[in-house]
Amino acid sequence: MNTYIKAIAGVSGREINRMTSRPLYFLAVVLLPLLSLLFFVSLMKEGVPVKLPIAVVDYDHTALSAKFRRTMDATPGSSVVMTPATEHEALSELRKGNIYGYVVLPHNLQADIMNGSQPVVRFYYQNGLLIAGGLIQNDLTVTLHTLSAGVNKQKREAMGQDEVTVYAAIQPVKPDAHLLFNPETNYPVYVTSIMLPIMLQIFILMITVYSIGIEIKERTSREWLRISGKSVTVALTGKLLPYTAIFFILTMFSNLLLFRVLMIPLNTGIIYLVLLSLLYVLSYQAIAVFFVGLLPMMRHSLNLAAFYGILALTLCGFSFPIEHMPEVFRLWAEAFPVRHYMHIFQSQILAGFDFAYAAPSYLKFLLFLLLPFAIIFRLKSALIYQNFIEKIQITDAA
Amino acid sequence: MKSLLVKTFERFRSAISNTALIFQRELLLLLSDLGVTILLLIVPVVYPFLYSLIYYPEVVRDLPVAVVDLSQSADSRAFIRKLNATPDLDIRYECISMEDAVEKFRKRENRGIILIPETYSSDLALGRQAVVSLYADMEFFLYYKAMVMGAGLVSIEEGNDIQVKRLMNSGLSERQAVVFSNPFVISGNAIANPAGGFASYGIPAALMLIIQQTLVLAIGIMAGTARERHKLGTLIPCDLRRMGTLRMVLGKSAAYFLIYAVMCIYMLGAIPAWFGYPDKAGFSQMVSLMVPYLLSAIFFGLSLSVFFKNRETPMLLYLFLSFPLLFLSGIIWPLSNMSPVWQAVRSIFPSSHAMLGYIKMNSLGAGISETNHEIAMLWRLTAFYFVMACLVYKTQITKVKKLVLNAGHKHNPTIPAL
Repeated sequence: MNTYIKAIAGVSGREINRMTSRPLYFLAVVLLPLLSLLFFVSLMKEGVPVKLPIAVVDYDHTALSAKFRRTMDATPGSSVVMTPATEHEALSELRKGNIYGYVVLPHNLQADIMNGSQPVVRFYYQNGLLIAGGLIQNDLTVTLHTLSAGVNKQKREAMGQDEVTVYAAIQPVKPDAHLLFNPETNYPVYVTSIMLPIMLQIFILMITVYSIGIEIKERTSREWLRISGKSVTVALTGKLLPYTAIFFILTMFSNLLLFRVLMIPLNTGIIYLVLLSLLYVLSYQAIAVFFVGLLPMMRHSLNLAAFYGILALTLCGFSFPIEHMPEVFRLWAEAFPVRHYMHIFQSQILAGFDFAYAAPSYLKFLLFLLLPFAIIFRLKSALIYQNFIEKIQITDAA
Repeated sequence: MKSLLVKTFERFRSAISNTALIFQRELLLLLSDLGVTILLLIVPVVYPFLYSLIYYPEVVRDLPVAVVDLSQSADSRAFIRKLNATPDLDIRYECISMEDAVEKFRKRENRGIILIPETYSSDLALGRQAVVSLYADMEFFLYYKAMVMGAGLVSIEEGNDIQVKRLMNSGLSERQAVVFSNPFVISGNAIANPAGGFASYGIPAALMLIIQQTLVLAIGIMAGTARERHKLGTLIPCDLRRMGTLRMVLGKSAAYFLIYAVMCIYMLGAIPAWFGYPDKAGFSQMVSLMVPYLLSAIFFGLSLSVFFKNRETPMLLYLFLSFPLLFLSGIIWPLSNMSPVWQAVRSIFPSSHAMLGYIKMNSLGAGISETNHEIAMLWRLTAFYFVMACLVYKTQITKVKKLVLNAGHKHNPTIPAL
């Protein structure tokens, strides 16, 4: 046992030497991951976008239309930045990207409301940008309904109805929205909480594939294996251990950002957080080892890892829910640890549900850890025979 | 005099033929390298296809919801029927208690709970406000939107019907009652993407980003490979015919430009047509956006390529940027809420302007003048990165010349060492 530990320590020492010999490692393991984490925390730290610019086209020019405009400007979601003379101008401003929506207050708005001919108030929102468009749509729908209820209320009060009766009469059924378990109303927090692990997985995948592939490419794999006492398990453990440590620290740092800087409530024991972070790093390392074993020529395994890492954003089901994707992608999504990470994060950490509900996801993490055993002999033979080396031709003179 | 003219002409001719040589050679190298061919020809073909299939359902419909009906009255059942009729929601479970519904939520069997209180029917009968509680799941923005918008609109509608009925009971005509409860009609209209489809929103932007990312990666990989292949580990080969800054930059750029001009026809022409994505932009608008975009992306790639010492380096040091660039583009996070620092960072990447410009032209039908800002920024970046690329290649060429000269000194004993 002791000899194993010694051998692993020896390989790790050799790897740390290699890591400090080139700036590439510092960039890809420490600096760029750190910058990426800070980028996402900083970009959306303000929370839900507020005061999105809109325009009001006022054809009416009465006290009422001015009141409408002021009310729309005062809502937290939007801010009236211009009052173009025509709809045509407003549309052009929207196309230029200066506003995300506009409201058209028609001619004779005030008069038509007074004499009961029910004018139409139209509003337009830029749905090519789904989030901004959705926020504007929601904000303007609510504001205009409030204004409509306001006119209704005035009439009823003029009829002598008291305030409680008026509210019950205007809005007999009142929807009261609550958030189920997830304590955070701030949507960007959810985006950040999933983008941080997604950034980390791409760095883990790429550097793991590289650190193994480069031994084959530069024909140092036999020396690596020799130091490891000819055991490929020792070789891999020793080599990947320094990266496990660094990426575990980075994952814990991203947790620190989430729970201490963005103040997301942590509804489970810290021990689970540690366990989850460790499993996350290890499972991505395991997948990367699997890729190298599958395609020992580094250029191909790097391509495969890149393809898989980029797809994580889509197939973790966070942008578009997995349940609504075609069946084949639902199965494919199971092959992404970040998907299971997200489930545990939502269910156990945010909502504070019992471990039992997240247990299946933890089990799936363990399955990823078995992946390297599927290709271990293929990888060993690639390390020994070095039969996956690309020929480098000297091509100076064409 | 004549000899000078001839000389100039000769130099000009050799510059042209050498540029053509570099162009031809780069094209050959690109297409003979499997990794780069995959990046340039396969990735832009496969990704849009894959994403289109993944996002094929486009919108979230029939969100599974549990209803807890404590009222058990004709009124509450009418409300549930209306909820079920909205395309957003699917009332999958009618639970007898909140505990029951919550347990189902924990097992992820439903994605939201609607609670109708015991007093629902009596509240309505007595003219009190009945409160319906919606418990939404914030995990996914689209679920939250489906739940709150879906159930919210049904409550407004139901409330409206009740109000109109009561007013009619008190003696108003139907028209009077409708006008009384709705003094004006509200009409919301989506400009672009009326169905709110996710693919129509995300894929056009992703196409633009893929163009820049594959270009920069391919150029970087070619540069890293070149260093591995050249005798002295330099970016520029030791070949005098190819030692000219302009001919190097222009020759290489032409090769990438040609390939991407062809790919654009597929990505921006065929993909939107096949999958029914917005394609409001005309050919001339497309060209006026894509020419500066491709040029600036190519020169950006050439400028960066000096940092990539090996074939693998771009994958390790550049690939990750795809995610931040997606968020910086202004497609996801509104520009009006982006800090000045990130706005500045955003503006140095060609993709940011091209993604926004493409959405404007293609989804909103903006003309060239309305996309002025983006096009101008892309031309500015083209000029900037062209100068950068030239500087990079100039220094690399000087380096090779020096190395060759020194190597000559070492191996040629007749020339005294400096």
